[in-house]
Amino acid sequence: MKILVVEDDPDLRRQLVSGLSGRAYTVEDCGDGNEALYQGSEFEYDLAIVDIGLPGMSGLDVIRGWRKTQRQFPILILTARGDWQDKVEGLEAGADDYLVKPFHMEELNARVNALLRRAAGHASPQMTFGPITLDTVARAVFVNGSEIKLTSYEYRTLEYLMVHAGKTISKAELTEHLYHQDYDRDSNVLEVFVRRLRQKLDPDQTLHPIMTVRGLGYRFALEASE
Amino acid sequence: MLWKPLNKLFSGIKWVPGSLQTRLLWASIVLLPVLIIFAGAALQNAYESSLFASERSQAQLQTYGILGSADLVDGELVLPRRLQEPRFSQVQSGLSGLVFDAQGLLRWQSESSALLDEQFIMQVSTFQPEPGSSRFQHLKDQGFYLYVYPLVWEIEEKEFRYTIAIVSSDATAMEELLAFQRQLWGWLLAVYLLALLLQFLILRWGLKPLDDLADDLSMIEQGEAEKLEGVYPYEVERITKNLNRLIESERSQRERYRNTLGDLAHSLKTPLAVIRGAGEEKHSLASYKRLVDEQSDRMTQIVQYQLNRAVKSKEQVMTGATSLLLSVDRIVNALSRVYAVKEIDVEREGLNHFFAGDERDLMEMLGNLIENAFKYCDHQVRLSATQEQQWLEIVIENDGQAISTEEHQVVIERGARLDTSRPGQGIGLAVVTDIVSSYNGGIEISQSELGGAQIRLRLPAGEE
Repeated sequence: MKILVVEDDPDLRRQLVSGLSGRAYTVEDCGDGNEALYQGSEFEYDLAIVDIGLPGMSGLDVIRGWRKTQRQFPILILTARGDWQDKVEGLEAGADDYLVKPFHMEELNARVNALLRRAAGHASPQMTFGPITLDTVARAVFVNGSEIKLTSYEYRTLEYLMVHAGKTISKAELTEHLYHQDYDRDSNVLEVFVRRLRQKLDPDQTLHPIMTVRGLGYRFALEASE
Repeated sequence: MLWKPLNKLFSGIKWVPGSLQTRLLWASIVLLPVLIIFAGAALQNAYESSLFASERSQAQLQTYGILGSADLVDGELVLPRRLQEPRFSQVQSGLSGLVFDAQGLLRWQSESSALLDEQFIMQVSTFQPEPGSSRFQHLKDQGFYLYVYPLVWEIEEKEFRYTIAIVSSDATAMEELLAFQRQLWGWLLAVYLLALLLQFLILRWGLKPLDDLADDLSMIEQGEAEKLEGVYPYEVERITKNLNRLIESERSQRERYRNTLGDLAHSLKTPLAVIRGAGEEKHSLASYKRLVDEQSDRMTQIVQYQLNRAVKSKEQVMTGATSLLLSVDRIVNALSRVYAVKEIDVEREGLNHFFAGDERDLMEMLGNLIENAFKYCDHQVRLSATQEQQWLEIVIENDGQAISTEEHQVVIERGARLDTSRPGQGIGLAVVTDIVSSYNGGIEISQSELGGAQIRLRLPAGEE
């Protein structure tokens, strides 16, 4: 999952980026309203965190700009004032949730998680597909109840595929959502991740959770269980 | 319409001074003479006409005098050498009588006409008006008034035509006129000066309250007075009343800021002291981190609470009415995005009322309370309002867990949170209570028939 952080204070921005990266999200950041508008309109993100008070262009205008260009990713606004006029204006501009500064990183993570889940149409933080369970809060994967150790990139790849289960995801889309935009993209790396995921999730090759759709990409093929 | 080009004309010129009094005086100094010149000219004209009319009627009388003394003997007009009017017999008396026949030949002349110019007499002889119409005119160049009267004498069906001319000097009339003019313009000048003086005094007196106001304001500026205390006329009083309210609200605002700042500084000192003290104790890294976390949480709450308190206006100065329906709709729509997953059923009843106060304050109260309802409900939130005369009662209910009576008080206190598992700053209700009490309203927490908490707000109602 790729998150755009728009915050002008360099210290807070660094904290946000490191906090979110630590939870296996791909994070890009910028500190200026105009740049944020450009980035959010040009590139694919799964979520944006926007500070309302920005230099150049207000956070509200950035959000309005994105929504005008039909950008539908969930947006979490950060506000320092915390009065209701601010919050309501932010939500009316097109944000989906708000957080008053200062906040705890855990709170931010919870909100981000909830928003991402909601965007994917999952109410519960846990997604279970047959024997495989993905816990988006704990950022952990279980097969038949026992946790499988995954690297950060393996987790990201699996999460994206599972959140979009049943849908064929092209390699380009996966790369787009897993890596920074200036990262040197090599689709071979993806194949390596998928191969390793298959080995870890399905060592006996009985489940076949990740299907390769020839020429198109990958698809998470298990049925969700309630 | 006329003023625009005038203002444009005058806008670049600095000699129109800024003071109201001087402006009005300048206007009078320039405009009054125009008025006075018109009035003077009219008066002078009227006087001249009446002088002319009186000269004419005198000349007429003299004609009748001559006629009365005249006789027709054998077809010849005969007049005595001396007439009743002594001035006719006196050379250079300024009054002369002449009688011409139909051929324009001079038939009689008074003794006083001895020095009249021959040519002038010739000129007079040519005036032969129709019988029945006399003629009076002012010959300014010669300095005479001339009255010519045609006379027809009928004897035994024979007609004898003569013309009687009265020539009177205009010297006296002109002198009178000059004297009148001198007097007239002298008086008018006096009137002008008096009017200016009176206007100056009236302006001084009339505009004095404004001067007083300026003085009083500078007293306030210098800290010698607290508010505008003088007695002012009705028109100014409306300004001073509003000014006083503004000054008062500004002062209480300043006081509130000072108090807030003081409160803030004081209440921040405790957590700071705890953190500093902990530095000197032997803490493990984990317990030190927990302590700093706790204290920074506390500081955050303090700052947020004081900020919210400082923003809201305590004295409601000149605020309009705020639509309850509009504010509720905005908040519910916004919160519905945030709590979309819960699929909350929001029931709205009788919200079309107005709140007599600031929109920001209403948003703050409703935002906090409605968000709480959204947060703690299971699936249902009910918002309703009723108005009773001056008061608006807003009820916010939800179907979540009930809170017990002991908890009611705790909920309203600063920073208290009943359910620590939910996100929030925990100062919402304390801020609401603060705002409500600033409007002299009330807040009541009880249990709703839906099952959860029911918050009853009592606020001043406004007119649309």
